[in-house]
Amino acid sequence: MLFPLTVVVLVAAVCLMAVAAWYAARSRVGDDRLLLVAAVVELGLLVQLVVCLVHLGQVPGGGAEQATFAAYAITLPFVPPAALFLALKEKTRWAMGVVAVGAFAVAVMTARLQQIWNLRG
Amino acid sequence: MAENPPARPNPPTTPPTPASGQRSTRSGPGVVLVAVYGLLALAATGRSVLQISEYFSRAPLAYVLSALAALIYLVATVALARGDRTSRAVALVAISVELVGVLVVGLASYLDTDAFPDKTVWSHFGSGYGFVPLVLPVLGLLWLRRTRSS
Repeated sequence: MLFPLTVVVLVAAVCLMAVAAWYAARSRVGDDRLLLVAAVVELGLLVQLVVCLVHLGQVPGGGAEQATFAAYAITLPFVPPAALFLALKEKTRWAMGVVAVGAFAVAVMTARLQQIWNLRG
Repeated sequence: MAENPPARPNPPTTPPTPASGQRSTRSGPGVVLVAVYGLLALAATGRSVLQISEYFSRAPLAYVLSALAALIYLVATVALARGDRTSRAVALVAISVELVGVLVVGLASYLDTDAFPDKTVWSHFGSGYGFVPLVLPVLGLLWLRRTRSS
């Protein structure tokens, strides 16, 4: 049941990465469009956090797996704001590099989350 | 530390924001470096806390090294983000230790597999993290060199 949400978050994160890379290539800094995509990612991550915590008990493998699962879910919503915070003060194309790195991290961590979830029998 | 170019303009009272000749380690490409270091610090800390709290006895050596790696990433992230003169020295030490660490642990994890039954950030030269841990210290040192006061 986590899978559709994972797909939404992954697609949004890849979009954010693409927009950031495109802006970086054209030496632009962030604008409303970038913020909008980032907001969609953030919203997805917040919903994901709630869903993951509600179903935490279903994660198999005992304490260690559950702790990892919860840690990923809780950490994820902090990644986009942190990336944007770093990017905010940088007025060159490299600001978009930070956003792209953050979006990539969101994608990887979300995929890991799904992987742990899939361990259920 | 190294030889300074003649007539160094910075008086010792320069504020942390390097306005005179020295580029901040946080500006330009440096901000991406800070971001990647921050991510690795996060990943290494998380993994280390879990390893030590949940199954320390399985591979004490590897897990202690995990914790050390996490600490070094944290220090390097903060030092690069601050970028004043003291921070540059701290960053230089941290990143040098990091480079040695990833090389030694990377090699050891291939030679002595018994000591590394479980993955750490540095084992197998950071292959679990797309070899970023191997490339990052090199980039970090190059970046510190590039932003050295001119």
